[in-house]
Amino acid sequence: MEIKTAVRQFIAENVLLGIHQTTIEDTTPLVTGGLIDSIGMIGLVSFLETRFKVEFVPREIDVHSLDTLEQIDELIRKKLASQQTGTAGSGQQVG
Amino acid sequence: MPERERPEPGSGEPEGDLLSDWLRSTAAATPDAPAVIEQDRTGKDRVTSFRELFEQAASLAARFVEHGIQKQDRIALVLSKSTDAIVSVFAALLAGAVYVPIHPQWPKERIEATLADCAARLVIEGESSPPRITDRDTGESLPWGAPDIRSDISGAHLLPRADAGDPALILFTSGSTGRPKGVVLSHRAVSAFVKWTAHEFQIGSTDRIACPSPLSFDLSTFDIFNMALCGATCVLVPEHIVWMPRFLVQFVREAGITCWYSVPSILAGMLEEGRMAQHDYPGLRVILFAGEVFHGPVVARLVAAVPQAVCANLYGPTETNVVTWCRVPRGFDGSQPLPIGQPCPYATVTLDAASGELLAGGNSLMSGYWNRPEDTQRVFVNVAGKRHYRTGDRVSRAADGNYLFLGRLDRQVKRRGFRIELGEIETALAGRGDILEAAAVAVDDGKLGTAIIAFVRARSKGTVSLVEAKAHCARTLPLYMVPDHIVFLDAMPKGSRGKIDYIALSKLAEALDQASLKYGAPNHGDQDRSPAVHR
Repeated sequence: MEIKTAVRQFIAENVLLGIHQTTIEDTTPLVTGGLIDSIGMIGLVSFLETRFKVEFVPREIDVHSLDTLEQIDELIRKKLASQQTGTAGSGQQVG
Repeated sequence: MPERERPEPGSGEPEGDLLSDWLRSTAAATPDAPAVIEQDRTGKDRVTSFRELFEQAASLAARFVEHGIQKQDRIALVLSKSTDAIVSVFAALLAGAVYVPIHPQWPKERIEATLADCAARLVIEGESSPPRITDRDTGESLPWGAPDIRSDISGAHLLPRADAGDPALILFTSGSTGRPKGVVLSHRAVSAFVKWTAHEFQIGSTDRIACPSPLSFDLSTFDIFNMALCGATCVLVPEHIVWMPRFLVQFVREAGITCWYSVPSILAGMLEEGRMAQHDYPGLRVILFAGEVFHGPVVARLVAAVPQAVCANLYGPTETNVVTWCRVPRGFDGSQPLPIGQPCPYATVTLDAASGELLAGGNSLMSGYWNRPEDTQRVFVNVAGKRHYRTGDRVSRAADGNYLFLGRLDRQVKRRGFRIELGEIETALAGRGDILEAAAVAVDDGKLGTAIIAFVRARSKGTVSLVEAKAHCARTLPLYMVPDHIVFLDAMPKGSRGKIDYIALSKLAEALDQASLKYGAPNHGDQDRSPAVHR
């Protein structure tokens, strides 16, 4: 699944509002680079939850794990994998 | 006003206005009660009692004094709001020093410039616990905790005593010329506000206070000093959930918060995305908000969601802290704007008849701007022999005596409760060599409040990308000041005298904002939305 493509498109439409021809690289800092602010983060998290059917827990809402397409991709993959192994959608480790 | 009984000792028969004394006497009266609760990332609570808080702060204060810290020296706290940060606040105050809270997420160069501006002697920083303490002059590291000489509660009397009029903290806020301004607040100024809230909202030892504002924001004097004054518990809101409404609502319920104080934007998020109205909050009895306009209909939703709570709108710039307030009437339907209300008992306010500007005086006033005597002189005005601050806010007075906020007289805006001088954004953008001109305007986005649109004329078309321009802002400005949109123009609209035509830009911004919302469709190309706009 192309997680990065989906997120890149979401950002182009909702954050950059489609008015700029802008390339977002896999490592472009989204939050610390000023592209997404705190309110934008609410939208991004809610998009990720709906699109990939995952659920975030508070400790995952971190600028260090959601700052680039690469990090988002890694986090979503990890969450999907843990769901498949039955670790519940919350992403919490069992035990 | 009727006098009320306070539930516990140490809870507020205020000995005086020295903020550090409040913690000392509450620690003596209720040593084992919880002072600060901090949730770590795994969700586990770290509870610090009043005895522990005071002992840690007094030990650290003794360390400072031993190191040669003098009264009124500045100690910078580049820290998130944590137990260690609160220990540092009281340690600085117990040592007679001034604390300067600086948000650790500010860009590096802004932090450095602020440290240099206030000539901080010590810097306390770092994400780990305990944080690092460094002497800025010598580069020497100081250990966290007591010096060799034992300095516990009994030894704390050796510490120097501040006077109530001495500065307690300096808050750095956006400056229109691009350099943040330091607002110097005395013990007395903070005390005036905190004692009033303690009395008016009957804060006591059973209260659990939450205030998601960082220490660098004046709202945070409410929770940490009501804790010290009244023996209440300060429950720290984990910083990573402050702007995640769903988690924030859950936090308020699970942590049993009784008193809440935040900017309206956070409450609006909790009501909207957080679906606050779907749950009950039986313990939540006081909800205070300040920092920006809270739209009437949203206030109405708040009072409907938490019907038992007293809700109140507090008003005042950082320079005065809160000077007027308005309790939201029961059954408020939001059809009228909520007034900023009437003066607090320690404040005097008056209207400048010519300009409609609100002038505010009284005990909560700042001492002045740090190291800026001309600016200080400019903003103070004498009214009936008393110093008043020119708020820059245009107000009117209703027949019932309530003041109503109408707008600003200058280019300062509020975005999510943060105060922003648009000129500072322009200075930052124009600081890039390839940007010739920059102009910023604010528009109401109709949903979340204020959106900031910056217009930029680059040296040559296509030399600066949006990502570069935003990243440049993020490197030089706090994130809340980074414009929502940056629009590249071939030419900046100018008036007949060659000055930037902000009215034309505002119209362009509004059109753009509406167009953006309307054209939420996927971006298939690079069509310009306006003939004057290029990428």
